[in-house]
Amino acid sequence: MLKILGSAMVVAASGLSGLAVAGSYAKRPRELRALRSALQMLETEITYGATCLPEALVTVATRSDVLVRPLFKQAGVELAAMSGVSAAEAWEKALAGYYPTSALKPQDHAILTNLGRSLGRSDCADQVKHLRLTMEQVTQEAANAEEDAARNVKMWSYLGFLGGLVFVLVAY
Amino acid sequence: MKAAGLALNALECVKDNPVNKILPVLPANIRDMVAALPEQVQEQVEEIRLRQGRPLVVGISSTDTFVRADGGLTGRASEAYLVTPADMDRVIQLLSGSSLYALDEELRNGFITLPGGHRVGITGKAVLDSGKIRTLKYLTGCNIRISREIPGAGEHVLPHIIDRNRHSIYHTLLMSPPGCGKTTILRDLVRQISNGIPAMKFAGLNVGLVDERSEVAGCYKGVPQKDVGVRTDVLDGCPKAEGMMMLLRSMAPGVIAADEIGRREDVDALEEVLNAGVKILITAHGVSPADLAERPVLTRLMHAKMIERFVLLGRSRGVGTIEDIIDGRSMRSLGVRKC
Repeated sequence: MLKILGSAMVVAASGLSGLAVAGSYAKRPRELRALRSALQMLETEITYGATCLPEALVTVATRSDVLVRPLFKQAGVELAAMSGVSAAEAWEKALAGYYPTSALKPQDHAILTNLGRSLGRSDCADQVKHLRLTMEQVTQEAANAEEDAARNVKMWSYLGFLGGLVFVLVAY
Repeated sequence: MKAAGLALNALECVKDNPVNKILPVLPANIRDMVAALPEQVQEQVEEIRLRQGRPLVVGISSTDTFVRADGGLTGRASEAYLVTPADMDRVIQLLSGSSLYALDEELRNGFITLPGGHRVGITGKAVLDSGKIRTLKYLTGCNIRISREIPGAGEHVLPHIIDRNRHSIYHTLLMSPPGCGKTTILRDLVRQISNGIPAMKFAGLNVGLVDERSEVAGCYKGVPQKDVGVRTDVLDGCPKAEGMMMLLRSMAPGVIAADEIGRREDVDALEEVLNAGVKILITAHGVSPADLAERPVLTRLMHAKMIERFVLLGRSRGVGTIEDIIDGRSMRSLGVRKC
């Protein structure tokens, strides 16, 4: 009886961790797409609204997907505090807080860090160039992520359970 | 005598030092230096100048002095703190609220206005587009001008420009070389004329203020940061000539005020305002009415005898000294000096 209970727990545990891995594969493309549309909003704020950056970031945060909200919100709040930080530093700090909680990969992190370095430092046309470039890269990453997801989500959700089952069978 | 010699510094309000308000736009290291300046200096600082690779300078009244890294003052450039490229980069970011892209127009004009109405002049390399300045880049110099609101600065001018019989004011022109307190006095006159002056039994008038360079009302996002009175309508950042016409048509002002008249179209618009029976309160660079009359654009204004009062400002006894007040019809002094 105990053995059966134990086996059930092993299967459940490995099944759930498999689902968790699958979940993060599924989350990344969604997150990247949300990021892309948030950046699009930021571009609009900058070009048409000529809104100042702290305000623009907060506006984008309130309207964007929950997944990416903390990044924009924190950067905006940090900047609005006028504590002497530059936009790049505020962005980096927000990114450092956001990245571990997200499903993003190091390459996404690098793209975002790069954007931070140019944020708010040049005229409108130049800002647009940087934002467009970032959006393009994010879109590319989203496509890759989607491919990864298509391949991996199913695999990991099965692999967890099946792996658990194999282990139980071998050990039984 | 007292009236004429009263300097603005003497009236300064100590407890609410505007220097503290501009500290947030300075990089942390420079912020510390400025905060470490002796209190007396802080109360009198008029400008803080940063030039990349050169000493940090603070301007006090009519002189300036270098600042050491520890916040002490020094007369020798070799001892002064040199502004680094990183400082400059950061100060520009902080000044612009990390939004340089929103300031194209401001950069074209060479200055930006901070919350609180402080103006910052910026220099760098101009980027031209078919002969016109498109924007500035390589921003390597800035002058943070600390604007001090001095309620009562216009007190000694007021009795001379108020027309008690007609319950209005005379057409008035304030003139001085730059940095003598024209704008400060204009702001206080606008405030008092707009609020009304109970002591002189003068009820307030609607004042239309065209603040082309955002200096008088110091608008930040359209809201005046300086007290310009309860009956004052401000057109912020608007070209004077067009602004005056807009106010005239729509806001029914009793007085139209504008800073630094100097272009031909300004004078055209002024004529229009005068013909409409609205009083004007303006400033111009110059040292005497005769000097103004020689300037091609202002000649017409002077010859038409449109101005009823000329107020000459100087800094012989400190910024904002009222040197003389001249009646525009007779061109005789109304005797501020002799009183």
